[in-house]
Amino acid sequence: MDTAVLHSVNAMPAPTWHRLAMNHATIDVPDDLALEHRADVRCDPALFGEAGAFDAALRGLQVHTFGTPEAACSLDDAKALVERETSPAGQDGFNPLDATALSAFQTRAAAVEVTRSVAGAFETGMGPEALDFLREASGAAVVLATAPGDAPAQASVRTFALEGALNACAIDVAVADGTELDLALTHESGKVSRGMIGSSLRAYVGRGATLRLSVTQAAGEGTTVLDDSGIVLDEGARLVVRHSVLGGDEAYGGLACDLRGTGSQASVTTRYIGQNSQKRDFNFVMRHRGEHTASSLNVAGVLAGSSEKTLRGTIDFVRGCKGAEGSEVENVLMTSDDAVNRSVPVILCGEDDVAGNHGATIGSMNPEQLFYLESRGLSSQAAEAMALRATVENAYFDAPDSFARAAVVAFGRVHFPDFEESVA
Amino acid sequence: MAQQRTHVDDVDRSLYDVANAEDPTARFEAGLTPEIVTEISRRKNEPEWMLDFRLKSLDLFSRMPAPDWGPSLAGLDLDDIVAYVKPATDQQSDWNSLPDDVKNTFDRLGIPEAERAYLAGVGAQYDSELVYHSMQDAAAKMGIVYSGIEEALGDPQWEPIIREKFMTLIPPHDHKFAALHGAVWSGGSFVYVPAETRLDYPLQSYFRLNAKGAGQFEHTLIIVEDGADLHFIEGCSAPKYNVANLHAGAVELFVGKGAHLRYSTIENWSKNMYNLNTKRALVDADGDVEWISGSFGSHVGYLYPMSILKGDRAACSFTGITFAGAGQNLDTGCKVVLAAPDTSAAVETKSISKDGGVSTFRSSVVATERAERAKASVSCQSLMLDDKSRSDTIPAMDIRCNTVSIGHEATIGRIADDTVFYLMSRGISEEEAKAMIVNGFAEPVSKELPLEYAVEMNNLIKLEMEGAIG
Amino acid sequence: MTCEPKLIVTDLSASAEDAPILRHVDLTVNAGEAHVLMGPNGAGKSTLGHVVMGDPAYEVTSGNIVFDGKDITGLSPDKRSRAGLFLGFQAPVEIPGVPVSSYLRAICEGRAGTGDMKGKQFRRHVQKLAETLDMNPAFLDRELGVGFSGGEKKKLEMLQLLLLQPSLAILDETDSGLDVDALGVVSRGIEAYRRQPGATLVIITHNTRILEHVDIDAAHVLSRGSIVAHGDAALIDDIDAHGYEQFAALPVAC
Repeated sequence: MDTAVLHSVNAMPAPTWHRLAMNHATIDVPDDLALEHRADVRCDPALFGEAGAFDAALRGLQVHTFGTPEAACSLDDAKALVERETSPAGQDGFNPLDATALSAFQTRAAAVEVTRSVAGAFETGMGPEALDFLREASGAAVVLATAPGDAPAQASVRTFALEGALNACAIDVAVADGTELDLALTHESGKVSRGMIGSSLRAYVGRGATLRLSVTQAAGEGTTVLDDSGIVLDEGARLVVRHSVLGGDEAYGGLACDLRGTGSQASVTTRYIGQNSQKRDFNFVMRHRGEHTASSLNVAGVLAGSSEKTLRGTIDFVRGCKGAEGSEVENVLMTSDDAVNRSVPVILCGEDDVAGNHGATIGSMNPEQLFYLESRGLSSQAAEAMALRATVENAYFDAPDSFARAAVVAFGRVHFPDFEESVA
Repeated sequence: MAQQRTHVDDVDRSLYDVANAEDPTARFEAGLTPEIVTEISRRKNEPEWMLDFRLKSLDLFSRMPAPDWGPSLAGLDLDDIVAYVKPATDQQSDWNSLPDDVKNTFDRLGIPEAERAYLAGVGAQYDSELVYHSMQDAAAKMGIVYSGIEEALGDPQWEPIIREKFMTLIPPHDHKFAALHGAVWSGGSFVYVPAETRLDYPLQSYFRLNAKGAGQFEHTLIIVEDGADLHFIEGCSAPKYNVANLHAGAVELFVGKGAHLRYSTIENWSKNMYNLNTKRALVDADGDVEWISGSFGSHVGYLYPMSILKGDRAACSFTGITFAGAGQNLDTGCKVVLAAPDTSAAVETKSISKDGGVSTFRSSVVATERAERAKASVSCQSLMLDDKSRSDTIPAMDIRCNTVSIGHEATIGRIADDTVFYLMSRGISEEEAKAMIVNGFAEPVSKELPLEYAVEMNNLIKLEMEGAIG
Repeated sequence: MTCEPKLIVTDLSASAEDAPILRHVDLTVNAGEAHVLMGPNGAGKSTLGHVVMGDPAYEVTSGNIVFDGKDITGLSPDKRSRAGLFLGFQAPVEIPGVPVSSYLRAICEGRAGTGDMKGKQFRRHVQKLAETLDMNPAFLDRELGVGFSGGEKKKLEMLQLLLLQPSLAILDETDSGLDVDALGVVSRGIEAYRRQPGATLVIITHNTRILEHVDIDAAHVLSRGSIVAHGDAALIDDIDAHGYEQFAALPVAC
């Protein structure tokens, strides 16, 4: 593999001061890692779809959204168009100072809409560089597709770290109109000194369909995890995501959701812990394009030791998403003086008929919570220790399948001797 | 009666748009060269170290990249900007000694009148130089110094202090426009408030950029010693031209132990202005800086007053309102560094976008390892008055101490239908209801603006909401 | 019934952010008794409960609190809890990410009885208590307080009361905002608690309905931060009939 560094991973759509070093992450990929693509997949064999099912689904969405399979123009042409409207070298007699001097990201955002292209606007949370890298490393994608009229379906995919290897898995999902799919991804590792796990999910959720995605990351030490996803929602589609991020020296998580269909909804709940010198880096992007779309992001975690976490959360109300609502809530409990937390909760808004809000609390446990726990006999240290352990136990209770449960138990056992017993 | 539309008016600018003729001989060549910088320094009769400083800054400026994350600067060709325009007068301490056109300008802006009514001192800058400076005798007797910064630089008592502090909070290498400022700065005020001294009336500086295609680069340096108290007001405006003007001033505030400084700004540059101003305060133990900021003008604005809380229990607050209308991209906000135990920060901002204007709230809150028990709350609310405009909120937090309590909340939306319905159900007309809501939205911030500016504020946001809904 | 004092509050004054809330409160509760603390809104009833439990949001400006013969005024809340004191919250907090089961285990850790139970045994014990309170056992896997209805939150407070078996329980408006069914469940919980040997109870309420099922030994009326009346159960009926205004005329204890 010749790629040694992924320069811009988990980049937030609207950058800010470079000095803060929050705009994106950079991942070093040791170039001597072997490439593996081993994953355990469990589902009804009828669920396996044909290669290209995802792309075909986006083409269908393109046609019933814009009435044509073709994009209106390329992104470059669209940018040129947007720039021409604001450029100092604009038309004769037009003073550029009368036009709004858009920033680079504002120009790009406007241009993406000008292209009128569903596939062109498709993105994953970790961004194009990571998407290409993971897809190249993964080999053929696992394709899961429901057919109209199918009963609710379940699929489980387990990936694991292998010594000295990048084990990557690509998954394409197409949930047909009116159907439901529960997809459980589990990332785990036994004892490896050095390994990477990668997963790349692209999903289309059809009209009135539901995708419930549960990602349980219970990797051990020595492991770097890249968990990337991009999901496109059609009319009335629902996406429910649950992340439990427990282990791995470095864990990168990206999720981008295109709420394109009218009335589509996405809710993302992320729970994580960071210990020792672990690193967590998340980029979640909710693009509201359809009318009356709704999104919610709820992220909470505990940072112990000298762990570091970055969360970039963006709610983007694209012009035209009348009646959309988006909310983001973040709680970070820092139990150690050496922990570092970075948060950038972004709301982008080009539409007036929307409601967006964001709230965050960061630092020590709030006084009301602490007093409540103390009044039940917990010291502040015990309360913090409980919060950390509870996140792992919670991952167990929320585990959607036996892969995830086993992975959480294996993880919990390493950190808490009586773990199995306490959740039994 | 003809149907009227309910609308929120643009800022009324007729007051500001009267441009005066220029004296062409006082104008430097456009662009930036070491020769021009040397000439500025020579004319000002500066100490040698300042010339060195300018030339080093110019070198930095030429090598540093422009920001790539904010509003486009493509319309700003620095080779076209005239760095120095000397007004046709020396500094006066009597308005009547000024040339008529300059005096009339400030009369129209109401500055002499305000000075008589409630200010302890006034400085007025016209293009690149201060043209008027005056302070009440009472304040002078208290030992307060309020003078042109260049004047102070020529005074052996103040020269070493300025040398020690000048561009230490905003070093030229901080960003490209700080470097530019370091190279071509001209004019601005110097304020020194001795320890335990309290000035009951504000000082005010007013900056007027009259020259077409010019830049204004004033430097404000304020030292409020331990236990002292000051309110400083800054106002700025310019007539509108069809070419870009640039404002890249710098404000450095030093707030001593237990001292208090309130720094209020009404920024109302014309809509051909690129306002790339940098403001910073360093606050010592138990000190407190309050920023009040109203941003209404400019074509492009980059403005983020920064508070560095380096002393225990130091505090800052930032209260701001930004109003972005047609053709404006205003990127405003603030930066806070909690760098000591028990420091605290409170940020409350409002923004209104309309007619295709873009307003961005951008902030950073950094809590260092030393910031034990520090607290910060950030609250920003954005109101969209139509679906052609844009409003972005980009707050960043970097927290490196676990005993802190950091809270952040942001909301965005339009005038809520249910609120309008509620008010109408109580007998208020729809237009009145909407006017009430918009006024209420701006009020928590606008009430903090200097009372003296009430009249100007009314001129600035004229919320005309009468007649039927269009 | 023993007559040893369980709780003696003497000359207790407390303030929040420099605003005085409690003024010179005296209150004695003997072991095994059930007391009710009543008073109009804003009288300081909840504050008294919180101060006795050691809420750092309040500053004790005078007096002391003696529990089982030991001055606990300076003790942290967790130590008071371990000493056998319990406060049922009017508004229990939400802690996202913490499952109820993890939380319950943590608060029982190191306590006699429940603390020694193995995982399954503990779970069974909790489930049994939950059944007596008409709680769906699935609540154990939910996050503490998150998405709980008002009734569910109050039931969880009662469950903790039964689980921790304190020697003194102060229930702060546990009855507020409950429908008839939930109120019945809470009453059953209180009765179950009272059956424990030595169980001592202080009920803070301004609604007498919850008291119908409890034998009340004493009643106290708090008004503007001071105790303005002491009495027996008859005082409750008096308040029911005549309200609190009758006490406004009384001289404030000082």
